[in-house]
Amino acid sequence: MSTKIRRITAGISGLAATAFLASCAKNAPQDTWQPKGSNARTIDNLQEPVFAIAGVIGVIVLCVVVYCVIKFRDRGQAMPEQTHGKPALEIGMTILPALILAGVGVFTFRTVFELAKTSDTQMVVNVTGQQWWWEYDYPAQVELGITKPIITSGQMIIPVGTKVLLRETSRDVIHSYWIPALNGKRDAVPGRVQTLRIDADKPGIYAGQCTEFCGLSHANMRMETVALSKEDFAAWVANQLTDAKSPADKTLAKEGEGVFLNQCVRCHQVNGLKKADGTPAIAAPDENVWAGAAPNLTHLMSRNTFAGASWDLLSQKCRADVWGASSETVGKKYLAGVSEACLNQTDLRRWLRNAPAMKPMYSDPTKLTPTNGKYRGMPNLGLTEDDIDKLVAYLSTLK
Amino acid sequence: MAIIEQPVTTGGIALAAPVTPTKAQGGFRRPVSTTGWKSWLFTVDHKKLGIMYGVMAMFFFLLGGIEAVMIRMQLAAPNGKVLSASVYNQMFTMHATTMVFLFVMPMAAAFANYFVPLQIGARDVAFPRMNAFGFWCILGGGIFINLSWFLGGAADGGWFMYAPNSGPIFSPSHGIDFWTLGLQIAGIASLTGAINLIVTVLNMRAPGMSLMKMPVFTWLTLVVQFLLLFAVPVITVALFLLSFQRNFGATFFDVSAGADPLLWQHLFWIFGHPEVYILILPSFGIISEVLPVFAKKPLFGYPFVVFSGAAIGFVGWGVWAHHMFASGLGPVSVAVFSISTMAIAIPTGVKIVNWTLTLWGGKLRFTAAMHFAIGLIVLFTIGGLSGVTHSVAPSDTQQTDTYYIVAHFHYVLFGGAVFGLFSGFYYWWPKMFGKTLNEKLGKVNFWFMVIGMNMTFGPMHILGLQGQPRRMYQWTEARAGEGFFNLAFWNRIASIGSLVLSFGILLFLINVVKTSRSKERAPLDPWDARTLEWMTSSPPKEHNFDVIPTVHHLDEFFHRKYEQDPVTHEYKQIATAEEILADQEAHADKHIHMPSPSYWPIVLAASLPVIMIGVIYSIPVAILGGIFTVLAMFGWALEPSTAPESDFDPPASGESTKELAPLV
Repeated sequence: MSTKIRRITAGISGLAATAFLASCAKNAPQDTWQPKGSNARTIDNLQEPVFAIAGVIGVIVLCVVVYCVIKFRDRGQAMPEQTHGKPALEIGMTILPALILAGVGVFTFRTVFELAKTSDTQMVVNVTGQQWWWEYDYPAQVELGITKPIITSGQMIIPVGTKVLLRETSRDVIHSYWIPALNGKRDAVPGRVQTLRIDADKPGIYAGQCTEFCGLSHANMRMETVALSKEDFAAWVANQLTDAKSPADKTLAKEGEGVFLNQCVRCHQVNGLKKADGTPAIAAPDENVWAGAAPNLTHLMSRNTFAGASWDLLSQKCRADVWGASSETVGKKYLAGVSEACLNQTDLRRWLRNAPAMKPMYSDPTKLTPTNGKYRGMPNLGLTEDDIDKLVAYLSTLK
Repeated sequence: MAIIEQPVTTGGIALAAPVTPTKAQGGFRRPVSTTGWKSWLFTVDHKKLGIMYGVMAMFFFLLGGIEAVMIRMQLAAPNGKVLSASVYNQMFTMHATTMVFLFVMPMAAAFANYFVPLQIGARDVAFPRMNAFGFWCILGGGIFINLSWFLGGAADGGWFMYAPNSGPIFSPSHGIDFWTLGLQIAGIASLTGAINLIVTVLNMRAPGMSLMKMPVFTWLTLVVQFLLLFAVPVITVALFLLSFQRNFGATFFDVSAGADPLLWQHLFWIFGHPEVYILILPSFGIISEVLPVFAKKPLFGYPFVVFSGAAIGFVGWGVWAHHMFASGLGPVSVAVFSISTMAIAIPTGVKIVNWTLTLWGGKLRFTAAMHFAIGLIVLFTIGGLSGVTHSVAPSDTQQTDTYYIVAHFHYVLFGGAVFGLFSGFYYWWPKMFGKTLNEKLGKVNFWFMVIGMNMTFGPMHILGLQGQPRRMYQWTEARAGEGFFNLAFWNRIASIGSLVLSFGILLFLINVVKTSRSKERAPLDPWDARTLEWMTSSPPKEHNFDVIPTVHHLDEFFHRKYEQDPVTHEYKQIATAEEILADQEAHADKHIHMPSPSYWPIVLAASLPVIMIGVIYSIPVAILGGIFTVLAMFGWALEPSTAPESDFDPPASGESTKELAPLV
């Protein structure tokens, strides 16, 4: 009988595993079972056997219960023996799981310490969360070509095969940085700096999402990590180090720059932007936003998502081309940025028309007493369609 | 049979009182109604209070269920528009709060209140007035929390209410104030209830009932009360800090003032993890009663079940930080808590083994109660094993805050706690109301619930492992993957499942209504049960037992009914339940002293929400509430121990069998 049960168990386990795997989504961007970097793989190597063991134990329990239900149903048999248990069996059934768990424990222990190592870091990025977007601040790292700090948001760019250490913190509430293909998550806690290792095997766009509930628009706080080949990364760095160029006079974009200076620069920095009198235009988000920061837009069109990485800057067709690209071609396609032909005008305009209608934020000017009049998120700027045309033209130049 | 009978009312439950009532002081008399609404409002009878706890918990179960269905409707399709972001956040916060604090806890309290005294052969709990006070507190707290829906929005920080997102800047509505202060009131119920039941179990067991002859439900309830006794103060402290931060400008969790927001997480989870066992152990206790009865065998390894329950009660305190593996505790803490979390799987596994071996070799009768009990074994095992997968901390950093966790704890709490409670409904209904719930409908009820629950929560394993985070008011197709079985598909299945599940619960309500209308009385011992609560009439008399039984065995009632033939080793029936009851009635105790009802529990409990309203809106009101509270305490203290004889209605003609008992 025990061989039979064993066979049945093995059969059902196999069937269950197959059914489970067959019923999963294909190419889910945030799949935790598709590691694309060494840290995620370390986790995966640990969790796969654990899931297998758990699965087998589950099937055994299920089989035994079903066996009992069928075999010992009341068929008028005599009153069963009033046994109170068999201590030897009990102790055995206590020790057995303890041994299994001790084995799992040893590997868990090792993995925990391995994932916490920071001594082999090759590159550092400071990652700061705030309601409801991520900012990346690359300190100067000359050996990587980063001769002065780079600030960007939404999409973090890393070179492939490089052990990157993220130093996370937050400007308001707790957020959590999570790119499932590259590593587990780590909370970004205000007042603390916490580290998370990531690296990617191959070039690609790896999706993630804030996973610590951070208030109203938690669902709209996404991010990507984009891994580029070393050459492509160098090209990206070189571009990020440049300042924005003012559009040619008498273009729509130039008028858009005026609108930007009038409205957007209150919070959003564009490096190299100058006021009409020729002095640098310095954003003052700390005066207007509770977190004291707003995305730097100098190279807006070098990223392909916006507003907490929740909407695409690329039109659907162009997005599919870039996001679906193979690891050989994705770098070039990503670096091409968002051309005017590819720009997702609909969502960008919708955003400029009334941002809080698109992404819930605390930006009703009549309800800002708790924050002393500061917004949490972006308010409705009340722009005219004319202004929006101009602004879109200007923003398109921020490559 | 003439026993207690304070002046009789027709058909109702009679009250006992000492023959020499102390003189009532001023207006502080004791109520004497034994029928009508007053008999419920002022009752201190553990059975009435048990039923009241049950009704209240069922109401909140339906409320929390509606909230759950709304959540699933919002998530049925991408970019859901059923709820706004703000309302969605309130919805999931209140769903969890309601289900944890206002359904499972009071429902477990309902069973504990009703059955612990009966199972240990006692006539009531140790502190009957405090028992009533506890009920009114949790009812008041529950209503208070939910008032916020109508006063500017409910709490929106998640039931875990992490700082600093729960602070006045990030959640400016009064929702979290209502939540915090309401939970404080509800917490009083848990604390007084815990003290009451601990004293009751330790001091009021029938003669001969040593601790190791105590029914497992009582044992695990005792463990739960100790957990409550130590866990509730922690959340009370945390809630006080939060209240002061929100209402009086304190800065306990304010980073700019030098605070560390992780303080809240530690406080919350030191309460929150034992809380998980507070929710599940009562159901473990219930099925540990149900399985032996319907397997016609004693619980396999009784001492192992008891000690593993106690072990869970201890180890449960050393695992809280597994909720914080992603918080940045450092590798040493993470590794330690990872291992301790694995360790707690061992006593839990022991229980599953014992239940399964209780079935092994039994004579199984598949009643509705048994269906739910076996359902619990299987579903809880799934939840327990998924729990083990995230005790592995590195693995948990991928799974935490995703739907995988939602799947895990719904298997544990729905498949575990709720199935256990439903098993208890079907098992104990005839004892509580003298009528058996319809068995056929009960089984249909079970299958709808089991299918609905697996449809709802099963797909969430896949959703979570494939990267769908929790607490998002919308999900997007861009992250849903490809193929027929993409995340959109599983979200849809989960939403449909929630409707199937709701229908299952509706069937239960229909069953209750149908049964209450039925004229058919349940037999005295419908299940051939094993424990003391079945050794009295159904529903039990106010004083529970005519004679306090003397206990010789674990499963005393079984051993009074059956005897083993020394030669053939076969069991033969030597007495029926009816005969045992008749024998008890014939030898009824002459002097039974039962506690009198009291006005003060409800009055004192009613004063607390006044204080809390005042804290939120106006301090003078809080002071007024405070004065009200102190006066109610005086009323409580100065109340005579019973009503004077003259307060009682004269006995109905021909029924006067007044035999008053002196104070014992």
